[in-house]
Amino acid sequence: MNSPSSRSSREESLMLLNAYLDDELDAASVLDIERRLADDPALRVEHDRLMQLRKTLSSHLKVERTSEDFRNRVAAIAQDMNDKPPGTVVQLPSRERRWKDWQQMAAAAVLAAAVTAGGMYGFLRPSPAANEIAAIVADHQRALLSAAPFDVASSDRHTVKPWFDSKLALSPQVVDLASDGFPLAGGRVEVLDGKPVPVLVYRRRAHVISVVAVPHAEQKSTTEPALAATKDGYSVIRWHGRDFDYAVVSDLAENELNEFVTRWREAAGEN
Amino acid sequence: MDNRQRFNTAVLPHLDDALSLARWLTGNATDAEDVVQDACVRAFKAVDSIRNSDARAWLLAIVRNTAFTWIEKNRPKTVTTTDDEGLFEQAGLERVEHQDSPEALLIEKTDSEYLHLAIAALPLAYREVLVLREIEELNYQDISKVLSIPIGTVMSRLARARNLLIQRIGMAGKEKAGAA
Repeated sequence: MNSPSSRSSREESLMLLNAYLDDELDAASVLDIERRLADDPALRVEHDRLMQLRKTLSSHLKVERTSEDFRNRVAAIAQDMNDKPPGTVVQLPSRERRWKDWQQMAAAAVLAAAVTAGGMYGFLRPSPAANEIAAIVADHQRALLSAAPFDVASSDRHTVKPWFDSKLALSPQVVDLASDGFPLAGGRVEVLDGKPVPVLVYRRRAHVISVVAVPHAEQKSTTEPALAATKDGYSVIRWHGRDFDYAVVSDLAENELNEFVTRWREAAGEN
Repeated sequence: MDNRQRFNTAVLPHLDDALSLARWLTGNATDAEDVVQDACVRAFKAVDSIRNSDARAWLLAIVRNTAFTWIEKNRPKTVTTTDDEGLFEQAGLERVEHQDSPEALLIEKTDSEYLHLAIAALPLAYREVLVLREIEELNYQDISKVLSIPIGTVMSRLARARNLLIQRIGMAGKEKAGAA
């Protein structure tokens, strides 16, 4: 039997292994999982199984082909809706529906139209801000899962800043807060909304703080107060800087994270 | 560009993918076509909010949500179990037994029909993540957007989905071997 701790580390290894085979890991995590594979024959067995599963899936599973008839029906929906003012019930073309089904479907379409008009779409797709917070927290979690939550390890901002410069041609503010009890640990690159962005990593005792810096084109007011949110037990605080939008995420208590943000903004001279 | 042209360029090229997803979520081709038609009505209404770069993931999100509405109405039992995180813990990541067993070989020999049954038997929350990755070939970021779940959850569900699938194929292989 596996003890709970070995089981959870096995679970972590398996998640990393899957992400590795899906080509989703950053450089540091790739090294980490390759080292685990070298050390752990059982994990290599899992690796071979997963590779075989992938081969089998790709040879047996195909994308369904739509029939021409179906494509025509869908195109007809678009044509039909385009010709009608918003809010009208669109009758879906169908094969051999009985009249009763038609009535049910019309009722469903009215409901769908009403709900869509009433903002159900916001429910289907989370707001951009909520999405971004979820993405930032998920990246932070993923970084915590890997061997080190940074790609460049340095407490020296004169090392971290040029590293971003060479990697991304971007230079976010890197401030030294060691004297305030938040030593710099390093930096990494995350992909947010399809774009690589710099992330600074600080430490507070055993806690990790990620500072995500998303460059923005237009000048923004830097005097607005920071906004706080929580997600899955992580605190996220966001604010606008001169050239970057910042988001910090950590499992630190919110008052300590607030203190970090205040010190950071003071040191960066942006407020 | 009017909405119809926008719809035609953004949605129509991805109908095969939309139908595949609906097929795996509802379990049959006829229902899948109904779901995709409904989804297309929703998509048309929202088509001016779309950015072409992620039209496919955007459409798949609508199809997925439409399929869930459909499943809740037609197969309420399937849905009640899928939101239960406790079930995931239970399904867990039990170690596959027989470290050196020729499971890789069994997986290789699995026939199409059995593979389809094994996937169809996966709990919905695992099945959708597996289908989005293996058939639609979305990356984790897009899967997390389509399903509105964090990337960490995508990772754990995907790992578990594949592990469950391997276990099932492995068991079936042993039964066959026993019968022979």
